[in-house]
Order: sequence, then C-alpha cells, then structure tokens
Amino acid sequence: MNSASNKSAPQEYEVPSFRLEMDRFVVPAVTIVIGLLLAFFLLFPLYSILQLSFFEDGVVSLSTFTLDNFHKYFTTAYTLNALWHSLYVSFVTTIIVTIITFFSAYALTRTTIKGKGFFRSIIMMPLIAPSIMQALALIYLFGRNGLITAHLFETEWNIYGPVGIIVSEVLYCLPHSFVILFTTLSAVDIRLDEAAESLGASPIKVFTKITLPSAKYGIFSAAALTFNLTITDFGNPVVIGGNYNVLATEIYSQVTNLYRFDLGATISIILLIPSMMAFLLNYYISRKSFSMISGAARPFIPPSKRLKKVAFTIYSSLVSASIILIFATVIIGSFVKVWPYDWTLTLDHYTFPSIGGYSAIWTSFWISVIVGVIGSFLTLVAGYVMETRKPFFKQTLYFFSVMPAAIPGLVMGLGYILAFNRPYFPFYGTPWIIVINIVICNFTLGVLSSVSNLKNIDPSIEEASISLGGDTIQSFFRIIFPLARVAYFQNFTYFFMRSMTTISAVIFLVSASVHLAAIEIIMLDNDGWTASANAMCTCIIVIVLVVLGISNIVNKRTSHIPSGAAS
Amino acid sequence: MSQQLVLKNINKNFGSLVAVNNVNLEIEPGEFLCFLGPSGCGKTTLLRIITGFEQPSSGTIEYNGQVINDIIPQKRDFGIVFQSYALFPNMTVEQNVAFGLKMRKMPKGEINKRVSEILKLVGLTEWKTHYPSQLSGGQQQRVALGRAIAIKPKVLLLDEPLSALDAKIRVKLRTVIKRLQQDLGITMIYVTHDQEEALSMADRIAIMKDGDIQQIGSPWEIYKSPTSSFVAGFVGTSNFIAGKKDGKNIKIDGYSLTVNGSDEIKQDIVYLAIRPEKILLIADHTNTDGYLKNNFIEAKAEVITFLGAVVQITFTVDNIEMNVDITENDFEQIGIRRGDNIKLYFPPDAFHLYAEKPGTVI
Repeated sequence: MNSASNKSAPQEYEVPSFRLEMDRFVVPAVTIVIGLLLAFFLLFPLYSILQLSFFEDGVVSLSTFTLDNFHKYFTTAYTLNALWHSLYVSFVTTIIVTIITFFSAYALTRTTIKGKGFFRSIIMMPLIAPSIMQALALIYLFGRNGLITAHLFETEWNIYGPVGIIVSEVLYCLPHSFVILFTTLSAVDIRLDEAAESLGASPIKVFTKITLPSAKYGIFSAAALTFNLTITDFGNPVVIGGNYNVLATEIYSQVTNLYRFDLGATISIILLIPSMMAFLLNYYISRKSFSMISGAARPFIPPSKRLKKVAFTIYSSLVSASIILIFATVIIGSFVKVWPYDWTLTLDHYTFPSIGGYSAIWTSFWISVIVGVIGSFLTLVAGYVMETRKPFFKQTLYFFSVMPAAIPGLVMGLGYILAFNRPYFPFYGTPWIIVINIVICNFTLGVLSSVSNLKNIDPSIEEASISLGGDTIQSFFRIIFPLARVAYFQNFTYFFMRSMTTISAVIFLVSASVHLAAIEIIMLDNDGWTASANAMCTCIIVIVLVVLGISNIVNKRTSHIPSGAAS
Repeated sequence: MSQQLVLKNINKNFGSLVAVNNVNLEIEPGEFLCFLGPSGCGKTTLLRIITGFEQPSSGTIEYNGQVINDIIPQKRDFGIVFQSYALFPNMTVEQNVAFGLKMRKMPKGEINKRVSEILKLVGLTEWKTHYPSQLSGGQQQRVALGRAIAIKPKVLLLDEPLSALDAKIRVKLRTVIKRLQQDLGITMIYVTHDQEEALSMADRIAIMKDGDIQQIGSPWEIYKSPTSSFVAGFVGTSNFIAGKKDGKNIKIDGYSLTVNGSDEIKQDIVYLAIRPEKILLIADHTNTDGYLKNNFIEAKAEVITFLGAVVQITFTVDNIEMNVDITENDFEQIGIRRGDNIKLYFPPDAFHLYAEKPGTVI
C-alpha cells in the first residue's frame, strides 16, 4: 500500500515504526515488572513467615512440618491471652468508633449545623500523626502522674491497660471510620427520608427504618475497617498497654526481647486471620455499597429543627474537643519543662541528645518524599495498565494489588526481616528496604484511588490518541498523567503521610544506621524521655501539615489546567 | 487510484452474541458511506473493526489491495471522530490539532502551518488558545474534526459525531462535514442512527440490523425501494398492513386492492408497506379518471396532527392505524374535521410488498 499512498501524498510524515514495534512490549513488560515486584516484596515475605511457623527451623520438607509452634502458643496462658485481649479491645473499639462516627457523619451530612468545615477538619486530624500520639497524650492526662487523674482528682486510678488501649484506639480510628460513613450518608438520597416524613413517619421511625438501613453497608464497612486498624495497631498498645499484652505487642516482644522469630511468625499468622477476615468483609461490603449510591442524591438538606441543631452542635463540639485535647496535650507537653509540675516554657525537649538530634527526622522526611514519588507513580501506572490496557493477567495483578491492605504492617515487617536478611540482598539494612516496605504496605489504597480516578477519563480519549499515532508511553505522559494529576498529588500526600506516621510496618526494619522519627518516639518514651517523645511527635505533625499545605497550593495553582475529573 | 477499502466476510462475536454477521462491502475512494441502524445493530462494532480497535472474529479488511487486519490502529492512518469528541482536556485547541502531527515528528514550522490551515478550515482560528472546556459542544466537535483531518487520514471514520449536540447545531455541522468531505475528497465512513443525517449527507447508505447489512444503496434508492420491511419501516415512515392473496389482487378488510408485483409473492399472506405521502386523499372535486375503482378505501379521520407544512391524518383500516400525509394547502382546501368520513386512494404502484412481518422499529 505504500507505493500508491506515497504517490498521492509524497510529503506526508509517518509515525515512526520502530517506536510502535516497541510499544507492543510496553504493557506486558510493565505488567510483568509490577507483578514481579509484588510477588517478590509481598508474597515472598509472607511465604517466609509461613515457612518459619510451620516448619522446624524454617526448613521446608515433609518431615519438618510441625504444629509445635501453634501448640505452644495455644497452651501458654500468657501468649494465648494476647489473642483474647486483642479481640476484646478491637471489638469494643469497633462498637464505640462506629457509633461515634455515625453520628458525626450524620451531623455533617443530614443537619444544618454551623461550622461543618471545622468539625470535619478536626475529625480528620488524627491521620496526620503517628498512632502513638493518642497514647502519649492519654498518659499525660490520665497516667500515674496524669494531669487529670493524679492532680485534678488526686486518684490512684490510671489509664494503663485495656481502657487506655481502647480510648487511644478510638481516637486514632475516628477519621478512617468517619470518611466511610460520611461518604455513605452523603450518597444516600435524603429524599427518601423526606418522603417517609411526608407520609407521616415520626423522626425516630424515619431514622430507624430509613436512614440506618440505607447506610448499613457503610456501617459494616466502617466497622470492619476499625476492627482491622485496631487489631493490627502497635504504637498505642505498646505505650499505654502496660502489662496488658495484645497480639501486635506480643509479636514485637517475642522477636525483639526473646529472639523467638518462630513464635513471632506464628503469632503473626494468628493475627493475620482476624485482620484478613475483617479486610475481606470490608472489601466485599464496599463493593456492594457502590450500588446503593444513587445518582439522584441531592446535596440540599432541609433546615433542621432548633433542638436537633443544638444537640448535634454540642455533640460535634465534644468529639472535636477530645481530638483537640489530645493534640494540645502532646504539643504543650513538648514545650513545658516538667509536665504537670513545672509549666515553664522550654525548647529543651527539642534537642534530642539521646538520639543524636534531628537526623531521624530528616531521614524520615526524605524517605517519605521518595515513598510519595515512587508510590504514587507506581500505583498510577499499575492502575493505568489494569484499568485502561487490560493486560492478560489483569485479575491476578488486581488481586496482588489489594492484598497488602489485608496484611498487618507488623507482619509485613517481620516477613521482610525473615525474607531479606541475607547478605545477597544489598538493600537490606538500607533506607531502600523501608521505602519498598511502605510503598508495598500502602499499595492498595494508592491503586484503588488511581483506578477510580482513571475511570473518570473517557476511554475515547485514549483511543483518540491511538488513532492519531500515539503509543502507550506518549499517551500516558502527554494525556493520562496530566489528567490524573489530581489523583497523583492526592496519592503523593497519602504515601507521604503514611510514611511519616507509620510505626508498625517499619519497626523491624530500622537499623543502627537508619532511624525513623516515628520509631524514635517509642524509643524515647521507652528510655524515659517522654517529653522528647512528644516533641518528636509534634515535629512529625508539623512536617505533615506543611507538606499537606504545599500540595494543596500546588493543586490550586495548577487547577486552571483542566483535569480528567472536571470534564 | 485503487485506494479502496474492502471488507470481506467480516464476522464479530462477543461470546454468543453476533455483533457483525458476514459483512461484505467495498468502499470507494472519496466516497461518503453511512452505516445507519438502530442501537445494537453492530454499526459501531463494524466501525471499530475498521479502525483496528476491535479484531474481527473472521474475515479480512483490505486497504489498497493489502490486508490490514494485523496493522495496529496507529499505523492505519485512519482519522476518527468520536461521539464524545474525546478532545484532550489538558491541551488547547491548537495543541489538540497538532497532536497527531507531533506523533509523526513533523517539523515545528510545518506543524504550525498545517494547524492554522486546519483551524481556518473548521472556522476556529480565533479559539486556538482555548481549552476544550471553554468551547461549546459544536465547537468541540469541530476541533475533533480538525484534529482527525490534520493527519491527512486515508479514511475518516465518524462514530455518531453529532448525536450529543442540539438539533440546530447538528444540522449546521452536517453541512460543515459534508463540505469538508467534498473539498478534501476524503473517504468518510459515518455511523449514525439518525436517518435524516444519513439521507442528507451520504453517497451511499448501508442499513444495518442485528449485525447484518440489510440494504446498501444511494439515499434515493433506500427511500424509494426498500428491499425489506425493516428498511421500509426504519427509513422514513411506512404504513404496514397484512393482506391475503385474492387471485391477482390482495384482500384487506373487505377491499380487494390491485397491487403491482403481487404475483411475485408466493405465499398466501403478504405484508404491504405504503408511505403516508403516497396515499391520496380524494375530495369531491378530485378528478379520479384513470384511477382503479377497487383501490379506494373509505375511513374516518380519527386524529389530525398538524406538523407544519404537512398535516397527518390518522385513520383505521382492518384495526390497523394508518396515516396519510397531505400538504397544509390541500388540508385547508378540503377542510376536514376530526370524525369526518374520508375517501382514500391507494395507487397500485405505491406499495412495497414483503414476505416477512415488519419488526418493531425504534
């Protein structure tokens, strides 16, 4: 065909053939690379845990298969208690959090109270701090020397133990649960409520017969997520749990204090079961709940009655006040000489002499920037390949991508030691293993948000690019990436935030040469530098806030260029 | 010049669903061909097979004598215009038009020259620095057209390009597209479900149903001699009525009508189609010399619908609702009211006869 068409248009340029030949390999290559990455950094560590817990000395063979570790676990009262403790704490926390956040979400979606933006920002605040801040603050307020317990009421009672864990976990889980319920309640059509009311149903009837049932998927989903977060959390229980051991702290002490890697691996599997079940429940439900979201949902809310407004304003204020109290305690605690005796302001706690100054903070910062860039890029590429190019083993890749959310960070961390603590893995003991670990641990949410963002982009746009001669790489960088920019920034901040605040995923991976700020909080607190622990916590909060602010500004500055979601 | 696009025995199945069923078609260079059919008839799938976004389950596509089945869309050099415009929202009008040229590594100077020519052609020169979101739907589709023709495609494929637009703009853009096609002498394949669009623009129309091409021909042929009852019903409107063979005549509700071509139909029951404008309304003063006595039918005017230049009168024969269209002029002269008895003449050569029952249309 070339001879004839060239005659008619001799001056025409052609799409370079070589590039298009190479293009055939781009999608399969990217798919395989991502698949291998996930297999190597997700499945291999998990396999190592299974290996060590089910086989003597981790040697896989028929004769070395053993259930001794599990037998030992279930027959030792102390370790078995950790399971009951974990289940108890998580169960109670789940109930409390779900109830609190349901009414918070209700107040912000179904009533006309004032200050919704404020209440919403406050309830989201725990996301910017490591899940240890709650425990630190509660100890300052209700500990043996607590401001409220020992000084205000002069009581002997203190919050260490299950109560402390539950309260701190409640305060930590609020934003996670709130987001789900807020989305659910904003999506469910308010007109259903109105229709019921117009037919003569009492407000309480409307609430129990319409509002609650229509939000049931959101409620279960939020509950499952809270349960998962609580049972896998390490930071809060290790600080405030006292002698009350839970599965996460038990894994840590088996490995760090007793060097029993095999028992640590065994408990990891025991922890994996309930957390995986909660995850699967959440995953299953949240798929279903999409169908509940009505396109006709209407943002207008009819004005609430005065009493309802007052009640919900007080309620939301109380929730906000408790969160602010936690933050205020940690921040103020880091600036006063001796809490709660000497209130003279000081910057002494910010010198961190015992850990060599600010190096851990800078390490954390740079690691988080790298995690943010790599994580958001990788998840966008993975989302693009899966959603738009539909490669051959899309389902497998998708399954691998959502798996990390089901695996507790501590378990992943332990798996990393078992799998990669070998001389032939050069990245072990360097910051890179931490970067990899955090990216993989948070892969799920990154991919899911990329996919949902890419779904907003009209598939014809991609086809238009192809028909004009664009190859995969050109289409991605010239069109898809600019259009998914908002998602990229959101994912960047998400990965950055997670990286700055995560404790459980990386506690096993810090080494003599690589320190992380969030981990140093535990170390400082352990060594009695409690005020410095608060100071470190404050530093993390400030850094996260600054980066959030910058990313917001960048987002707004570039908002004049239309993005995929806008069109 | 044999830059002919030939489809040979094209089939496409999605699972058990047959989307395209053994399509054979030759598209001449410079031709404007329309695929017309109701939604789900396979016209878009056929278009996507030509573009290369879908692979046919069997059959070959040839361009210029060469099989192009295995040539990827990027190398086919076919321009595509999408129903949703599919402009790149992050690029200005200029950048959108230049995209395909950049992919071809055209030197910058030439790109600029080509882009301004194209923008002039589609009348968007003063909008070149705007983003698509700042343009109206009609303007956006003109950008999409410009972007597609900028690469001087061998064939331009348009997938319902006007169906997202307002009626008035739609009519205006028809002219724009038709003129572009004539000025550039480009081969165009145009998919639509809008018969008016197809009739007014195409050189040839391929009527599709359930993956089959039912009839292919000029708009005139399609309208004047629909070869199937589906086409008769889908293009324009037709009154359908079932009749029974009665010697040479056809019997309907007590009338025995003379119908040209009735002897060619073998079975007992035949289906007659007649366009509303072909039925004649007989007034007292009408000269009926030479009319066949047995082709008059009397009925009652049940509904009178005023449609502007045309007035439609609905009546019932054999429990079948039928329409007759008369000019607004005649309507005024004859002066019919609802409920009046009317006399209608069915010319024997106005019928189309079909062996199969017309399917429900639209």
